[in-house]
Amino acid sequence: MTAADDIGIRAVQEFLGKDALPDRIRCGSNNEQYVLIEEPEFGTAVSHLAANKFVLISLFCCEDFSAKAAQTLFYVFERRTSILVLVRDINGRATTIAGIYPSASWFERECRDGFGIEFEGAFDTRRLFLHETYPEGFHPLKKSFRNAPIVTRDAVNPADEYPFREVKGEGVYQIPVGPVHAGIIEPGHFRFSVIGETIFNLECRMFYKHRGIEKLAEGKSPEDCIGISQEVSGDESVANATAFCMAVEQISHMPVPERAWYLRTILLELERVCSHLGDQAGMLVDVAFPLGASQFSVLREECFRENDRLTGSRFLRGMVSLGGMNRDLSRAQLDELDAFVHQLRNRYKIGLKIVLSTASVIDRFATTGVIRPALLRPLNITGPSARASGGKVDVRINHPYGIYDRFAPHLQRLRDGDVLSRFTIKASEIMDSLDLIERLIAAIPEGEIRVGAPICDGYTLTLVESARGQNLCWVWIRAGVIERYKVRTASFGNWLAIEHAVQGNIVPDFPVINKSMNLSYAGTDL
Amino acid sequence: MNTDFVLYLAINTLVVIAVSPLFVSLIKKVKAWTQGRQGPSVFQTYFTLIKLLKKEVIYSPNSSRIMRVTPLVTMAAILVAALFVPLVFVPEPVGGMGNIILFMSLLALARFFMALAGLDAGSSFGGMGSSREMSISSIIEPTTIVVFAALAFVFKTLNIFDMFAISVSTGSPSLSTLILIGISLFIIIIVETSRIPVDNPETHLELTMIHEGMILEQSGRNLALMELSAAVKMTALMALLLNLIVPFGITTSLTLAGILIALILLVVKCSILTGIIGIFESSMAKKRFFQLPSLFAMAFFFSTLIIIIEVFS
Repeated sequence: MTAADDIGIRAVQEFLGKDALPDRIRCGSNNEQYVLIEEPEFGTAVSHLAANKFVLISLFCCEDFSAKAAQTLFYVFERRTSILVLVRDINGRATTIAGIYPSASWFERECRDGFGIEFEGAFDTRRLFLHETYPEGFHPLKKSFRNAPIVTRDAVNPADEYPFREVKGEGVYQIPVGPVHAGIIEPGHFRFSVIGETIFNLECRMFYKHRGIEKLAEGKSPEDCIGISQEVSGDESVANATAFCMAVEQISHMPVPERAWYLRTILLELERVCSHLGDQAGMLVDVAFPLGASQFSVLREECFRENDRLTGSRFLRGMVSLGGMNRDLSRAQLDELDAFVHQLRNRYKIGLKIVLSTASVIDRFATTGVIRPALLRPLNITGPSARASGGKVDVRINHPYGIYDRFAPHLQRLRDGDVLSRFTIKASEIMDSLDLIERLIAAIPEGEIRVGAPICDGYTLTLVESARGQNLCWVWIRAGVIERYKVRTASFGNWLAIEHAVQGNIVPDFPVINKSMNLSYAGTDL
Repeated sequence: MNTDFVLYLAINTLVVIAVSPLFVSLIKKVKAWTQGRQGPSVFQTYFTLIKLLKKEVIYSPNSSRIMRVTPLVTMAAILVAALFVPLVFVPEPVGGMGNIILFMSLLALARFFMALAGLDAGSSFGGMGSSREMSISSIIEPTTIVVFAALAFVFKTLNIFDMFAISVSTGSPSLSTLILIGISLFIIIIVETSRIPVDNPETHLELTMIHEGMILEQSGRNLALMELSAAVKMTALMALLLNLIVPFGITTSLTLAGILIALILLVVKCSILTGIIGIFESSMAKKRFFQLPSLFAMAFFFSTLIIIIEVFS
């Protein structure tokens, strides 16, 4: 694709004028267009992009990127196949764009906590990932902060406590749920405002398990950082490791052997199958249909065991590496996987038939937790949740990476956006992934699995489609080590969707809506 | 009160306490089988109860005396209600014993205190559980009354002892009436014992709980009492259904052999019924909360039908 064809470039030309271009635009290695933007132009640029249906998919900060300013903000926009990054130099203060892009609110709060940047005019200036127990003025992502344990506050003044949005009125009452739950699940606080059983408003508060992953990566060699990328979210290990390795490979112009990409793609799809099977089992547990749930949880466990047999890790860790794969799979292993996939598909079909022929399950799923299509763009909802609401979003199709241009999955779409749609989408994605794995095993070429090459300096942005949706990764290597590693998993955007999806539903339906969206706490709280 | 009756009180109470936990485990076992799992041992509920009895009781600082008396009141009310349903031996009724209206009121008393205790600790899930339980019971209680009225029409008595005596001695009423009574009472069992599709007894999801929500704040021996009373209630209701429909085995004379045979038959019959309940539970998902009345309506409809048949035939 030439630069002039890119809809991102055309949009930029419209608000910058054609003359200003060449020195201000830089095409990244993943076809993303970096545009340096001056402060006065910024407001018009964002409104123009909003009017042209660009989605804000990430916003992150970086120190010491530009010689002219202390911090640089990267606004990443996407429309269909083009990615546009507005690069904005700032000095501790910036104007907000949350009024135009609601999804920017969490990103801006994240930058505020991490770097101490004040966003002027923001409607929400509460803390995000650093809760009120962290001391005032503590901004761990600043370069001046040395990564070390800190003393948190034991007691918080009532005045400093996190103010939840309060919905008042006759008969409205609040139900606080979490962060400690009755089951073995990750921590999150849900504040329901309820009239009777009907949910009027929900506010989620996450970030109870902040691990400082981005800070941890700084100063590490890219090789050491793969392990960190795998820990971002347990069941997205392959996806996040692939995104990270892809970024380093592109920066360093490192060739990746064909066979390695086949293996990576097999693992990526296996990971998706495991995740979707777990979701489907969970959704059935949440509507109290254990007979159906056990069909899928048994298959998921067998999938994990197969993962273990193939790679020595139930979560497929330690396989993806820079420039290829750490270990090869033998022909015998691939044949065994082929047989396993074949048998899995048959048993999955039986389970699916049981569930879809149970009227009481369909009754619970249908019309529950609808995500309206109008929300997809403002909140950057991706993955099966978006596709169940009619969204044409799949990184494998929109921004194919590796060999997905040759092995493109079918774009599965439904329109209703309810729990049933998400269940059905996941079912067809499982079938699709199983087909894909079989095709890959049949077509896999012999050869090297890893080519070494020296690490170069530079930065790039990569996108992958994890089981939950679009995962974004931005890597900046300076002097051979990681200067900045930014991850944004699909859940970061999708969490906001649930606040809208539950409105008008009843409290007992919340668990199944939550499960149907399969949101990762760890992937949100780095 | 004669010696027979005193013996009846002792035997019935001992039997119901001894066998109830077994049936709770049996349902779990059947459900585990349908899911292809092995499931816990059939004696697991006994072990759990013994464990709970040894544990200390912790009260929320917000809770009042209600929290402390509820386990006792509930257990007492349910045990007395269980005395109204002869399990192995039907004596001559004494006083108000066996009155079906009183039976229902005792169940309501236990439920009332359980709901109060749910509210007492001031936790949000207890409150939700109580609110849901009360919403459901305001619909199910009229239905229960109609079902019991239908029984009264069929057997021409309000006394459960007499109903059992009639079904043992003269055989049951016509098959059609039996089926209708069976379905109605089965639905009452499902609702009263908080099972799928009304409530999920195995859930860990605090937002969906009804019965579990109400007893979420209970601990130690108080929790053991709550669990045991739920088990006893289930056994009593199952025995009510079984002894009306398949009364064989239950004895009207107090002999050791008769009682032993009756006991074995009771365990066998109840086990079969728990199997049916387990399979019924496995065959469907929980209903949406506001669609529950459709289930009760079925019991209501069948009972009304019985009354119409009895009145006009």
